[in-house]
Amino acid sequence: MSYLDVLSESKDLVTPGMSACQGCGGELILRKVLQISGENTIIGIPPGCMAGAGVVGWNFSNGLKIPVHIPLLDNTASLLSGVTAMYQKMGREDVNIIGLAGDGATADCGFQSLSAAAERGEHMLYVCYDNEGYMNTGFQRSSTTFKGSQTSTTPVGKVKKGKKENRKNIPMIMAMHGAAYVATASPGHMKDMVEKIEKGIAASKHGFAYLHIISPCPTGWVSKPECGIDLAKKAVKSNYFPLFEVEEGVWRRTVPNPKPIPVTDFIAGLRKFKHLGEDELAEIQEYVDKNNELLEKLTREVS
Amino acid sequence: MSKIQALTGNYSASYGAALCKPDVIAAYPITPQSSVVEKLAQFSADGEISASMVEVESEHSAMSVVQGAVMAGGRAFTATSAQGLALMYEPYFRMSTLRLPMVMALATREMTSPETVWSGQQDAVSVRDAGWMQVFVENNQEILDMIIQGYKIAEDPNILLPLNVCYDGFYLSHLSERVEIPEQAEVDAFLPPYKSRHAILDPKEPMAVDPLTPGNILIEYRKSHLEAMQEALAKIEEVNKEFADQFGRNYGGAIDTYCMDDAEIAILTIGSMTGTGREAVDEARKKGIKVGLIKVRFLRPFPVERIREALKGVKAWASIDRSVVFGWNSGPVFMETRAAVGNADSTCNFSAIGGLGGADISLDDITGCIETLDKLKTEPGKKDTLWFSKPVE
Repeated sequence: MSYLDVLSESKDLVTPGMSACQGCGGELILRKVLQISGENTIIGIPPGCMAGAGVVGWNFSNGLKIPVHIPLLDNTASLLSGVTAMYQKMGREDVNIIGLAGDGATADCGFQSLSAAAERGEHMLYVCYDNEGYMNTGFQRSSTTFKGSQTSTTPVGKVKKGKKENRKNIPMIMAMHGAAYVATASPGHMKDMVEKIEKGIAASKHGFAYLHIISPCPTGWVSKPECGIDLAKKAVKSNYFPLFEVEEGVWRRTVPNPKPIPVTDFIAGLRKFKHLGEDELAEIQEYVDKNNELLEKLTREVS
Repeated sequence: MSKIQALTGNYSASYGAALCKPDVIAAYPITPQSSVVEKLAQFSADGEISASMVEVESEHSAMSVVQGAVMAGGRAFTATSAQGLALMYEPYFRMSTLRLPMVMALATREMTSPETVWSGQQDAVSVRDAGWMQVFVENNQEILDMIIQGYKIAEDPNILLPLNVCYDGFYLSHLSERVEIPEQAEVDAFLPPYKSRHAILDPKEPMAVDPLTPGNILIEYRKSHLEAMQEALAKIEEVNKEFADQFGRNYGGAIDTYCMDDAEIAILTIGSMTGTGREAVDEARKKGIKVGLIKVRFLRPFPVERIREALKGVKAWASIDRSVVFGWNSGPVFMETRAAVGNADSTCNFSAIGGLGGADISLDDITGCIETLDKLKTEPGKKDTLWFSKPVE
């Protein structure tokens, strides 16, 4: 079935009234993940934009049409380890066990439990929607925030100009855990994203599956809400966020990018990078190129 | 037929847990609790238990895993000590406030600093206001028995609260005693299976477990949590009796008393020091001192009425604590007992503190405490804290 049929024939399991910002990438990712996983799913969504937007419920109401729990910021993967252990014990492996967390809950304080669950090969799909910061609480820096970004904890002032450090490369780190399936995805490449969600769910029946999806954030990145998909495409096209997957230890670039655009084409639309001068932009380009070289080496054999 | 074996406190906890047939066990090793996990892992490796063992990377994850397991409809078990308990505080608080019943063995240990790995109850008492029930036991048999009773109390539909079985690290965890291990069938008859209904993650019954909750609703949850704690006081007595009828061992319920019928003065003990306390009472009685002992078993819920009743007519009393309450210059049992009796200043009373960081609480220490009480018994009011400490050379 083509990805368009998959999407048009599946139910939207998220409340229409969720309070995400206009143009939120996270909302789009959540809706697509659940459209594909369907009703036979249990999801854990820790504090962050999606939980804050109300999908984990309010008062006595559910924000989803499936069972949902808001774990702690730092224990999504271990909480779901308990859930999946029970479902395997009950012989109900058909139930999809999914975590959907922001980059803070994934790469920072939640990383210990995530890493351990991946090492144990827990049967679940963990999706990180990476909007490069703690956007729900006012755009603070996380370890996936890109170098140079202006955030509320790495402000631009007279002597400092945004975040000083490069981002932590979580998808590669997760791949090195030997997880059953690891991939990056972008809402700008929907066919690729849908296929990866499907593969991730399939892999979660026998091991740990991890998806790292770039999530344009108009409010935090200070970009136009209607430009989200365009930004998600440019992030891929510039190698700022390359698309690959690692299946049974084999690395594959799912969207080859033989003619990359300069990274400045991507970040031009984002006010969080507006203060950067030529030198800083060159440094970013250099980091992106190096990261891409590494990915090329890892994927060379099959590309 | 039950089986009799020499078991360490930790192994006794492992056997107790195994008899309760948990679905999921997740624990991280820490001194002095480690052999609880090791023994359960061995049971699992030998196919003697069917529980899924989740080999977590921390106590924070241990408590998170068991929370997930209970929310998926299972019975869960874990065990820890001191720093491990401190690390798991975040999901620990949530387990009780989501009203998810389970039992956790706690081989109690002093909190660092100063750096220590030895006995003390500071870990458990520091979280006594995190919504769990806490029972402190005297010997290894009581560890096993209270794990079984613990599930029964915790899973009662009117209670639904997790429970800690606290036993002194090293003093019980590492010392061997005679333990009677009941037959599986006897435990099965006593403890029915449990499945969470109020907080369940199951696509057949889609539910948002723990949605964002405003204060006016949250306050109702807290009220109901506190009420359940009070209901647990009666349940503890009921389960104690039921257990005594079936297994022949009666622990007295929320408190146990020794020689209290005609007592003029009393000591309150908590944990394994109680055995030494009983000896000290016997010795003092030989000298004509009318002393009795109250063993505080449950610190949460605190058995206010039973303690008040036990202290009726007592002229002087002292609590002996293996932990402290910062800011009160006393131990927690003292502070709680003062609050419970209401008319504390009409009697003579003081807090005794000892056994911190693995230090022994000796017969001489408790005898000294009883003699001090006997001397001061005609002078009502709160007296200075008595420290069981020896000057550092």
